[in-house]
Amino acid sequence: MDINNLGVGLALLGAALAALLAGIGSAIGVGIAGEAAAGVVTEDPGKFGKVLLLQLLPGTQGIYGLLIAFITLSNIGILGGSGDISFAKGLMYLFACLPLGFVGLWSAKRQARAAVASIGLVAKRPNQFGKALLFPAMVETYAVLALLVSLLAVINIGKLPI
Amino acid sequence: MAVLPMQRISIYALKKNRKAILELMQRRGVVEVKKTDLEDTVFHRMDTSSAQSLFEKNKSAASQALEILDHHAPEKKGLLSMLDGRKEIPLESYQSDAQRIEDIMKKALYINSLQKEIAEDEAEALRLENQLEALNPWMALDITMRLKGTRTTAAFIGTVSGQRSEEDLLLTIADQAPELSGIHVEVISSDKQQTCLFALCRKESAQELENVLRGLGFARPATPSKTPPAQRKAELARRINDAYRRVAGREEEIKSLADCRKDFQFAVDYYAMRVEKYQVISDLAQSRHTFIVTGYIPERDAPSLEQELNGLFSVAVELEDPQEDEDVPVLLKNSRFAAPVEPVLESYSLPKRGEVDPSSVMAVFYYVFFGLMLSDAAYGLVMVIACGLVLHRKKSMEPGLRKSIQMFYYCGFTTIFWGVMFGSYFGDAVDVIASTFFHTELTIPPVWFIPVQEPMRLLAFSFLLGVVHLFVGLGMQLYQLCKARKYKDAVYDVIFWYLLVGGGIVFLLSMDMMKDMLGLGFVLPSTVGNIAAVCAGVGALGIIFTAGRDSRSPVKRLFKGLYGLYNISGYLSDILSYSRLLALGLATGVIASVFNQMGSMAGGGVVGAIVFTLVFVVGHTLNIAINLLGAYVHTNRLQYVEFFGKFYEGGGRKFNPFSVKTKYYKIREDH
Repeated sequence: MDINNLGVGLALLGAALAALLAGIGSAIGVGIAGEAAAGVVTEDPGKFGKVLLLQLLPGTQGIYGLLIAFITLSNIGILGGSGDISFAKGLMYLFACLPLGFVGLWSAKRQARAAVASIGLVAKRPNQFGKALLFPAMVETYAVLALLVSLLAVINIGKLPI
Repeated sequence: MAVLPMQRISIYALKKNRKAILELMQRRGVVEVKKTDLEDTVFHRMDTSSAQSLFEKNKSAASQALEILDHHAPEKKGLLSMLDGRKEIPLESYQSDAQRIEDIMKKALYINSLQKEIAEDEAEALRLENQLEALNPWMALDITMRLKGTRTTAAFIGTVSGQRSEEDLLLTIADQAPELSGIHVEVISSDKQQTCLFALCRKESAQELENVLRGLGFARPATPSKTPPAQRKAELARRINDAYRRVAGREEEIKSLADCRKDFQFAVDYYAMRVEKYQVISDLAQSRHTFIVTGYIPERDAPSLEQELNGLFSVAVELEDPQEDEDVPVLLKNSRFAAPVEPVLESYSLPKRGEVDPSSVMAVFYYVFFGLMLSDAAYGLVMVIACGLVLHRKKSMEPGLRKSIQMFYYCGFTTIFWGVMFGSYFGDAVDVIASTFFHTELTIPPVWFIPVQEPMRLLAFSFLLGVVHLFVGLGMQLYQLCKARKYKDAVYDVIFWYLLVGGGIVFLLSMDMMKDMLGLGFVLPSTVGNIAAVCAGVGALGIIFTAGRDSRSPVKRLFKGLYGLYNISGYLSDILSYSRLLALGLATGVIASVFNQMGSMAGGGVVGAIVFTLVFVVGHTLNIAINLLGAYVHTNRLQYVEFFGKFYEGGGRKFNPFSVKTKYYKIREDH
């Protein structure tokens, strides 16, 4: 068996991991934040808009995961084209997807905790919404950085002459 | 771009004009009244808390009546009506409505009492329904449930646990009390939980039978009916019906009062204004015939108020500039272009005394960064059209909301700009539609370049924007320090950093490694690099020697200086932080492409077109929403953390004038 046949499989594993881990993280995160948000809305339905925004913040990781997974799928030819990926390239795609997968999972969970705290803040002091939005956004930074690394890697692997 | 200068105002006037003067001031809404600290034998403060709480009570009664009306006779509202601001009413109609306030309150209290009666009747109906429910198993009984027996017999009417038949019961009784005889048992009804029974025995055997029955869990009904159950049921049903009829009647009555909604809204506003007025009255210094108002007024409004007061009343108005250490409230005044970002600044913190208002500088970067993160011409167009329509249609919107919508309106334009630069129109919708449905190649070429193809180029550009942003922030610090005549600090804290960071960046650019990494089209000659390195060195040395200048001991100074130099890592992370401009910009475009591709998977033809349209509308709506949120949050972060971190402290108190703070109406005066 030609080892290069494994290439496309490895790359697909990477894409799946990116979508899986980041998606799981966001699902957990948005869920946790949603529980807190619903609690606030039972007391004061007028705060719905504000707490909804806070609830959505941990949701971006899942979208980043989708993004990386999609670019990988399209680069390795699963969405049309030839699935001709060497073993080395497949392994590279797999590693390229990992930063976003892992950081996405953890940052979404942690961001959700910050979001819950911020939802509590908004419940008590609705006029501090701007600041409340910022605390979860701080956590998001690291997801953005991981996205950047994964993105740059995935886009550029295709151009390598391996 | 500025913090409006404030003046301290003192108004000395006669008490007989108090109502008129205060009401005029309230309608003008330009003075923030300060609690007086003048209290002696002549002047004292008035306690208005009882009046205030009375007004509060009336206000909440009126808003309760409004809630009840909204519940029973909801008002028909358009989807965008929440954007409507308060309605304007002329002063005369305000005054004539104020005459009717007692009538209005009577009606409000009447509605509240109706609602209370409705609640009582509903509770009553619920109670009766429960009774009716409990009566259901007894329907087959045709005598009163309270029967205890006749002259010679004892009767047991009640329930035992479990499902039992008459034979069961008789057997159990015979088993447990064999000497008992002449017992009649009738099962009225039976289900899994309980059996309703009627048992009769001779009076002498009553005790024994009861003992046996108790062993089976016998209990008499909690509410035995005096009349036979069927008759009782009819009676209950009639009473329930009556209660509901009364509820319906009262609801009708409430609905017939729906016209009073406006009156109640007026009452809520009226009492809100009076509460505020009495709050202010309690802050005034008053003697037997005079009173003094002290507070702050924006300088631009002072002359007109002074003139107006002098023209109408016999008053003395005194204006002074506030002292250095006074807690002066802050009011911002910016151009139409910069004012929309004021709420963003406000949600961080208003400038403290003597600090510059960064709104206008921030506005430029805000719009640019926001556009770069969203960077799709079509999305920008959607924003511009949506916000433009709202701004155009809803003239009476509240100022805060209006500013926010204006901000998104301007952000829409920069989004269009960057979208055109990067050739993104709903992502790659044009290409996809052309190839799927018309089988041709059509691409709108980017004016500059396509980020997905050259991400390093956009990354370098993002860092460049970041450096500019940070240096402008440092520049603001320079400006503030120079204004405060702290020239030494300006050199130590700003110039040295300019030298170090600026020199360092130029030096890095002159190296081949950076050129390859960022794909720059140029390389700086090595002499430039050397000069830059020298500048950076001078900056670094300067920082080491000056960063610890607060400390006396030279050793401590040196260490503090070295620690100050360590701040360079802060600059590094600040600059790297701008990579989010690239990441979010790419995210928008790529997710848009994902949706386009998903839509095109059904192929061409009619079915394909329908699928495509559906996916297109849903997908792009979702993408706009999530990326608007992302762009908003991350633009704010870049301003708050990276930009403000360089110069801005904040901590100012917002100017909160004595004014008409109403919910539904605003009063228009014709001059």
